[in-house]
Amino acid sequence: MENNEVSDCLKNRHYFRFESYGVKIGVESNSERFLKRLEDHLPNVIPNAFFTNNNLETEHVFSINVSENGLFELYKDDEKITAGDSEENFFNFSCSKLRLTVAEFAKAKVFLHAGVIAWNGKAIIFPAQSFHGKSTLVAKFVQRGALYYSDEYAVLDEKGFVYPFPKTLSLRGKGDKYKQTEYTAESFGGTIGTEPLEVGMIMLTEYEPGAEWKPEVLSAGKAILEIVPHTIPIRNKPKFTLQVLNKIVNRAIIAKSKRGEAEKFIDLLLEFYKTKVI
Amino acid sequence: MNNSQVPVARKQGLVVQEMPEEVLIYDLDTNKAHCLNKTAAFVWKSCDGKNSVADITKSFENGFGSPVEEDFVWLAIEQLNDKNLLNESLTTNLKGQTRREVIKKIGFASIIALPIVASIAAPTSALATASCACVTPGDCPAQTGCPSTVNCNGSGVCAP
Repeated sequence: MENNEVSDCLKNRHYFRFESYGVKIGVESNSERFLKRLEDHLPNVIPNAFFTNNNLETEHVFSINVSENGLFELYKDDEKITAGDSEENFFNFSCSKLRLTVAEFAKAKVFLHAGVIAWNGKAIIFPAQSFHGKSTLVAKFVQRGALYYSDEYAVLDEKGFVYPFPKTLSLRGKGDKYKQTEYTAESFGGTIGTEPLEVGMIMLTEYEPGAEWKPEVLSAGKAILEIVPHTIPIRNKPKFTLQVLNKIVNRAIIAKSKRGEAEKFIDLLLEFYKTKVI
Repeated sequence: MNNSQVPVARKQGLVVQEMPEEVLIYDLDTNKAHCLNKTAAFVWKSCDGKNSVADITKSFENGFGSPVEEDFVWLAIEQLNDKNLLNESLTTNLKGQTRREVIKKIGFASIIALPIVASIAAPTSALATASCACVTPGDCPAQTGCPSTVNCNGSGVCAP
């Protein structure tokens, strides 16, 4: 948008602009209250986002309309995304869409949908879909003394290093088994990692009650095939994405195994990690 | 001159990532990723429009130091065909045998790994990171990894 287009568009509307990993996003709404809530919460949603001059150009614009009868509508780049009347659900959905936009369009970075912790100076990455226990696993590791990097995204650079994306941990099952509750790493007695780290291991795992630990170490090619379903920008920038993944799979151990309860799994994994990585 | 017995590896619309023992190919047209193991990769790279299947077989024997039948190379060609990794579709020549019969025959006799092309579809960003957050049920069909793809529950989760 040009500056004068922005000004016309924003009459009677409120606006903030932020950047994260090179992605420039504007968020505007007719509801100052709702927008303020989003703005205040943004550091928990996108940890390295920083607010910038509102007059600068953007690459993506999110528009939020709140009607007098309590209907919330979300648009992204003029396309309607969703609408509903639950402010709480709409707020959470909007946060996830903002985060996804950063993940998809980040410059010179590849985002994996994964949990990440650091152990003995290297990162362990757990790519997984939602509802497959990665946040619980990450929380357990943090309680054991691992550094917290993320329960949502592994942020990889062209050298194959992983960066922290320490949003609040989203854990399910406290009361409502589907609803998420947000926790800080500190509330688990944990510490947030701050430095980019070499990847020691990528562990492909999902919870299955009573599952036996039987790690299979994957070849580089098979490892990439397993990681692709969790790779957010693969369609946008396949060449760069594959280069980054190739760098990692040829250095780190990539293993796959189902897992049972988290505590026992962590013991077994760390033993395995000691023999293979350290 | 290309004919149906002279395979040509497709290059257009592919991103190729070479690895020590495998080749990773991303098809920009179909958004699928393919992993060719060492033997499949050798066959694909030998499909230069000049080598017949017989030539590739001979070259394979020289490269791997082990005799193989043409069926072995045809097995690779068939998979490359199926995955659209050749410029033109070939009529495979397994002499009336099914792929399973060929694999059984070769598998017992061969000390070299059978050619394998493994594939997976690359997700859209929304599928790769389905958060399962929703406002209405219409937000759920795209989030196929969530407990429900048709219901947005009271907590704003695509779940029963």
